[in-house]
Amino acid sequence: MKLSAIRPIALLLARELAITALLILGVSFVVFIIIYLSPGDPFGTLLKGQTTLPNAPENIRGALGTPPAWYAQYLSWLVNMVQGDFGTSTRTGLPVLNEVIRVGINTLYLTIGSMMVTLLIAVPVALFAARRGQTPVNWVLTMLAYVLSALPVFWLGYIAIYISMHHFGLFPLAFASSAQKWSWLYFMFPVLVLGLSNGTTSEVVRFLREEMSRVFSEDYIRTARAKGASIWKHSFKEGFLIPITEIIASKIPFILGGAVVVEQVFNWPGMGRMAWQAAQDRDFPLIMGITLLAAVFVRMGSLLQRFVHILVNPRASKE
Amino acid sequence: MKRYSQYTIEVGDLWDVSFWKKADTMDLIYIVYGLFIVILVVVSYVLGALSLLPHNPQEINLELLMAPPNTAGHLLGTDFMGRDILSRLIIGIQAYFLPGLLAIAIALTAGTIFGVLAGYWGGGLDTTTTYISNLLNSFPRLVLILLMVAAFKPDIYTIMLVVGVTNIPAVASLIRSKILFLKQKNFIEAAMALGLKSWVIIFKHILWHNCRAILIIQATLGMAEAILMETSLSYLGFGVQEPTPSWGNMVQAGANYFMQGNFWPSTAPALAILFTILGFHLLGDGLNNILEGKRG
Amino acid sequence: MKRLASVLLMVLFCVFMMMPTTAMAATKSDGNPDGGNLNYGEYGRPATLDPITSNDMISLRITELLFNGLVGIDEKQEIVPELAERWEISEEGKVYTFYLRQDVTWHAREGEDPVFFTADDVIFTYNIMMHPNTITPLKVRYEFIESVTKLDDYAVQFTLKRPILNALAKFSFKVLPKHGPQNSEFLTREDPFVQQPIGTGPYMLKNITADREVILVANENYFKGRPHIDKFIARPFADQNIMGQALMFNAIDMIVLVNHRDIPQIQGDKRFVLQPYNALSYSFFGFNLRNPLLADKRVRKAFTYAINRQEMLDSFFQGQGPIISGPFAPGSWAYNLDVQPLPYDPQKAIELLTEAGFSKGDDGIMEKDGEKLSLTLKVPIAKESEAVKRVVLAFKNYLNKVGVDIEAEFIEWLAWKEDIFLAHEFDIMFASWVFDDSADISSLFHSAEVGSWKNNFGAFSNPEVDSLIVESKLTLDHEKRRTINRKLHALIADENPYTFLWTLTNYAGYNKKLRKVAIHPYKFFSFSDEWFIPRSEQR
Repeated sequence: MKLSAIRPIALLLARELAITALLILGVSFVVFIIIYLSPGDPFGTLLKGQTTLPNAPENIRGALGTPPAWYAQYLSWLVNMVQGDFGTSTRTGLPVLNEVIRVGINTLYLTIGSMMVTLLIAVPVALFAARRGQTPVNWVLTMLAYVLSALPVFWLGYIAIYISMHHFGLFPLAFASSAQKWSWLYFMFPVLVLGLSNGTTSEVVRFLREEMSRVFSEDYIRTARAKGASIWKHSFKEGFLIPITEIIASKIPFILGGAVVVEQVFNWPGMGRMAWQAAQDRDFPLIMGITLLAAVFVRMGSLLQRFVHILVNPRASKE
Repeated sequence: MKRYSQYTIEVGDLWDVSFWKKADTMDLIYIVYGLFIVILVVVSYVLGALSLLPHNPQEINLELLMAPPNTAGHLLGTDFMGRDILSRLIIGIQAYFLPGLLAIAIALTAGTIFGVLAGYWGGGLDTTTTYISNLLNSFPRLVLILLMVAAFKPDIYTIMLVVGVTNIPAVASLIRSKILFLKQKNFIEAAMALGLKSWVIIFKHILWHNCRAILIIQATLGMAEAILMETSLSYLGFGVQEPTPSWGNMVQAGANYFMQGNFWPSTAPALAILFTILGFHLLGDGLNNILEGKRG
Repeated sequence: MKRLASVLLMVLFCVFMMMPTTAMAATKSDGNPDGGNLNYGEYGRPATLDPITSNDMISLRITELLFNGLVGIDEKQEIVPELAERWEISEEGKVYTFYLRQDVTWHAREGEDPVFFTADDVIFTYNIMMHPNTITPLKVRYEFIESVTKLDDYAVQFTLKRPILNALAKFSFKVLPKHGPQNSEFLTREDPFVQQPIGTGPYMLKNITADREVILVANENYFKGRPHIDKFIARPFADQNIMGQALMFNAIDMIVLVNHRDIPQIQGDKRFVLQPYNALSYSFFGFNLRNPLLADKRVRKAFTYAINRQEMLDSFFQGQGPIISGPFAPGSWAYNLDVQPLPYDPQKAIELLTEAGFSKGDDGIMEKDGEKLSLTLKVPIAKESEAVKRVVLAFKNYLNKVGVDIEAEFIEWLAWKEDIFLAHEFDIMFASWVFDDSADISSLFHSAEVGSWKNNFGAFSNPEVDSLIVESKLTLDHEKRRTINRKLHALIADENPYTFLWTLTNYAGYNKKLRKVAIHPYKFFSFSDEWFIPRSEQR
């Protein structure tokens, strides 16, 4: 790497870190406000399923030492967070940081895996369409991607499970303690379903196709082609790298959302499933932890995008 | 100036027959199919609003639970309460029509404003709008919607509000990068050199000539996303609630009997979702190809 | 279906005697083979694994495997010795002395020697349970105890505030080790013990996997003899449909509570056993008597006449369970079988409404003095609660036929709870009560229980009911109390503060390889140390 490229990257990193910190502040505040406004006591989960004494909620508050005023609650959370203490889950009493990182890694597998699946399908289809125009094979693949991404995720998941059970004799249960010989295959199901469905594939195909054909029709590429030079060499960066990183970055929040559903269907112990439970329990520290980690994932995506952008086109770092 | 003309199409093209003649047959088929779906959706909406339905969608028949298609006058069979699926499909579009449009309107309007502010003027405005976009983008949207719905009420307008708001960054970033791209090509400098006013450049040359394809695609995608989002939420229990039908809660209710081999009650609404979303996508594609793709 | 568990314990038999026990060998002498694993599916994940802070059924089932009480309850619902080998009860019934087994050890943590169970542990458990900073559903149940004293290492004495009926059964609370929790005064969910508990029970916690699968292994030193099955694995599921399929596909061996929609499929399969167990619970529609329209008994009764409970039960639940007429769970001794449920009779419903001063308006909806009989029904949302949706929609439909307009509103659970128990903003609600072994309905219908977060959410108030409830509580004679409760049942059935629906029969579904499966109605695994898997079928 050229030395001149390092300085903008270092600058970028510093800037990104600052932005991430600001974003985390914003995200946590918004989430806090939503939870605060929601009916139902966050401590209701401790009292769930029992006949309550009339003053039980106040007793619990007292016992847990939670300050009553909303800004005090937020500030005390914030102060602890800055010191690295994310608190403990109201429901399980486990430290939030460990829990969230544990499930976050599983969700990261799922997210990266399904992103790869999407790209493995979308990139060739889009590239082919951009270079050669539509051919019948390409058209069929495009339509297939469109159809799959127009189906409800969980319904597609049910179909996948039904077919795998009745036709292949496989039960796609990820993370079973009694892992069997083909257990890695089980991991493929949720990854495939999330990668193909969830409205993403069609969007990625479309985006990449547009970007690539735009670049291919640029003057300099056409000149290069006329001269008989390899189009690849010239168009790889702008027509390939940039759009792909861009779409990855912008699809992460979407895929994280889809993961909520897929994790439930396939019993995947991830963040989305935990978020769903936490939202219902008003498990405030846990919700905060999850949304913050999700925000970090999203930032990592956009950092990747900026990084590639600057590598390809150092001039862009100055804007 | 050659470069400039390369990126514009004369206004009024759409009404020009020769323009359509040049278009790709496949694109025309897409557009026709997409328009057919749009018309079908509008007609269903009107039929539903006027209650012109084959059956009463709320009429319960416990003798006829989950009947297959074409039994006892039920063209598409009945659901888990013996209600007519066809009627519920037709009236189910009510759940998406206005709320979906609301989501699209929010995303497009705010997204365009943000995009132009960030891309055209840049500087401090760019930083601010980028921050807001990043903030909105940093929430996994389904989790955000879950929180909102849990906090307030499982109401389709709440859901669509969040869908719309969380889609703002996508639109904004597309517009912003388009403008940056045009700047890079010295397009805007050229337009300024011609003495055009900023708002003319923004509305006519940037938004109308160069961004309408983006906006159309985003609108079609927005509708598709709204439907899928409601479906996912229904699976989690927080979509449109019974007895109001929505395609999402119909798929969800039917899917509970899927594993026992009762495929139909969930397949019917799932196919409705499929054909509709496909229609929106292809419409967007076709229009985009014709407006933008066949230049040079 | 979300349940509100009313945890008030009471048991059929009152045993005034000393039980001799025989010390058992390390292996069971029943001749059944050891070995094999049991994977069972749970819908949801346990929050905590200790018996004090946990409040969900999943945790309750696991604690049943890990811990023991001073006394236990056998398959015939009789009280048997467990950690206490015998006991004495003073004549006036105020002092209970328990003599403890001396051969019980706590599960050994890695690298530690087993510690013997002593009277200190019992006292420690009681103190921790009653400490104000401990949040536990058990506290209300043990307020009848005045004090506890240690007589010697293997004898403890409980003094009651006043004699109560069937107090002995209440000493089945699970005992915690004194050396277990970090905090020796009270227990919160932040204590590591709640996730890594040790007990005296037939199974020991091995670990919790990434997916919060709880893996339990046989306790070789279990004082009743080593349990037969080597390993219990509680596997959490997030989707009931998938859990049902997991059983069909042998990915799990047992489902503790089979969804009713899966019953036909499992029933038709020879590889599985469906075993019913009686749940002391029932479902109902509760009325808010603060609404003047519903304050009239005739209106409430008309609602009950208007709905066809048998048709709903048959269509939605495969007819699994009896329709009930009154406030007690039908499995309990207090239930009065002489009171018949009101029949389905829409004509009678219309008559009653007319009698109450209603007449049909132009739009077919009943009205009285210009006020329409249009009511809001609030139901909590639960994922995959098809059955609830069906019941609610059918209810709405039946009432619509007699001219009552019902607006069904599904709301998120905690919000629902606030609406019902705090704000009282509802006309009708749908829920289920789950009782332990209880016949104590005082918190549900006594007029003193009206108010914020109290269980008489509908503000039902009837002086006769109040006095019967008090009388029943003060009676120490079982037969007399039974008579009072029968009266109470008939009275409440007539007052109709709820439309009582049914008690659904619970089913456990499991693979045929499991043998000698006996199930406790709500603790479920109480007898699991006797379960076994024949050698040939141990995988």
